[in-house]
Amino acid sequence: MKSLLTILFLAISTGVMAQVTATDSLFNSMSSDKQHGPVTIFESSRLILTQSTETIKKNNLNVLVIHRFGDAAGNLGGGKTFFGLDAVADVYIGLEYGLTNDLNINIGRSTIPTVGGLVSGQLKYAALHQTNDDSSPLAISLIGQAGVRPYNTYSSFGDRWSYFGQAIFARKFSHIFSFQVAPSILYNNLPEPNEPGNENAIFSLSATASLKVTKLMSLVVDYAHPFSSFRNNNTGFSDPLGVGMQVVTGGHVFTLNVTNSRAVNEMNYLSNTTSDYGRGQYRVGFTISRMFDFNHKEKYNTKR
Amino acid sequence: MMKYVCIFLLSLLSITKTGQDLYTCKNARITLFSSALIEDIKAVTSSGVSVYNATTGELNFSVPISTFQFEKAFMQQHFNSDYMESDKYPRAIFKGKIQEHIDAAKDGTYPVNVIGDLTVHGITEKRTIQGTVTIKNGIVSTASEFMVKCADHHIDIPQILFYHIAESIKITVSATYNPYKNIP
Repeated sequence: MKSLLTILFLAISTGVMAQVTATDSLFNSMSSDKQHGPVTIFESSRLILTQSTETIKKNNLNVLVIHRFGDAAGNLGGGKTFFGLDAVADVYIGLEYGLTNDLNINIGRSTIPTVGGLVSGQLKYAALHQTNDDSSPLAISLIGQAGVRPYNTYSSFGDRWSYFGQAIFARKFSHIFSFQVAPSILYNNLPEPNEPGNENAIFSLSATASLKVTKLMSLVVDYAHPFSSFRNNNTGFSDPLGVGMQVVTGGHVFTLNVTNSRAVNEMNYLSNTTSDYGRGQYRVGFTISRMFDFNHKEKYNTKR
Repeated sequence: MMKYVCIFLLSLLSITKTGQDLYTCKNARITLFSSALIEDIKAVTSSGVSVYNATTGELNFSVPISTFQFEKAFMQQHFNSDYMESDKYPRAIFKGKIQEHIDAAKDGTYPVNVIGDLTVHGITEKRTIQGTVTIKNGIVSTASEFMVKCADHHIDIPQILFYHIAESIKITVSATYNPYKNIP
């Protein structure tokens, strides 16, 4: 009898509970999170040296100004050049436009006087997005770039060209930490620098980490290593390494950084980074990214 | 004695088996509007879900934060990552109870007070929200307009941003329901 009572009591108590939560259980089943939306891994399409997996959204225009000052220390630095701020190592001015949310076209120009400047055009495609539910644990973007050096003396027009292809794999590991690796292949029609033993094709690997310190500020470390028998410490080459702070201000992204690499464009800094932290050949640099949105406001009212 | 207890408990059991009038909505439209000095900021989503229990008067809403569509892509990004932290707090939820009695069989527009918990950005606030319940040809719909103070839900407004959202955001909600058929 006692056991029967217990069973009855249990049945009733679960029955009562079921009544209390009839609304809630239905509600909970309806509001379970099945979000597949893409995760924003980085705040900007540019990190310090490397580009990120992020693309500019459709009908958005990103205006980029990337600046590298002169050596802060060493022979060319110090107080007489105001720690390099008097000199310009490289300036990149570029435009990046979203043809679709996943396909960007980009054109830009670098000062880099040692090789006669560089005008570059690029297509970037976001092939895969990281999703909230981890059905896709990482994002993959592909970059194809061609560059031509308009000035200085070259023996043929073909010698002025370089080509660059990169695959970027990125993941946001937590709401504050993101990481990417990017293998790339660079082909210079004329080896840069044009010295015996230098290769036309260089395979390299980049790694970038971003750590959010406040809501709007991130610490970024960016590193690249060209796998080249010609490029080593004995022949005077260094691996490009940058450390910086990225600040988001709504429409603008600013990055203030320190790098050893003088050049902004991948084609130049992967080919020819001879400046070394140990010799005081590091510099202050910044990136300004300003976004313009050309989507019509009326679109807000329609289904997008 | 034991017999009476058993009968009493059994009768309780039968009460729990009575059906409930549940109504659901899977495309509740929710908008937010922030009046600001430089430009007004607005966003809309039709991905809200709602459950209305006509027997108990319970009325619940849930909206995925990341489904709000803004005019500008970067606004949407900042809304999610910097204001609402939608990866940590993916949904805004309201669980309330309608205070007035509503006769679901009778057409009409009923002004109602809904008392309940509003959870936004992980912070729950006790709220009394005014709205209307409309019954027309047996179809139930709800509508409301109310303000949410950012500070109440610990939503920081970063000072460095070049645009600002207002301290209070106007929210409008409208939902049309279908009767929920529980087929086991």
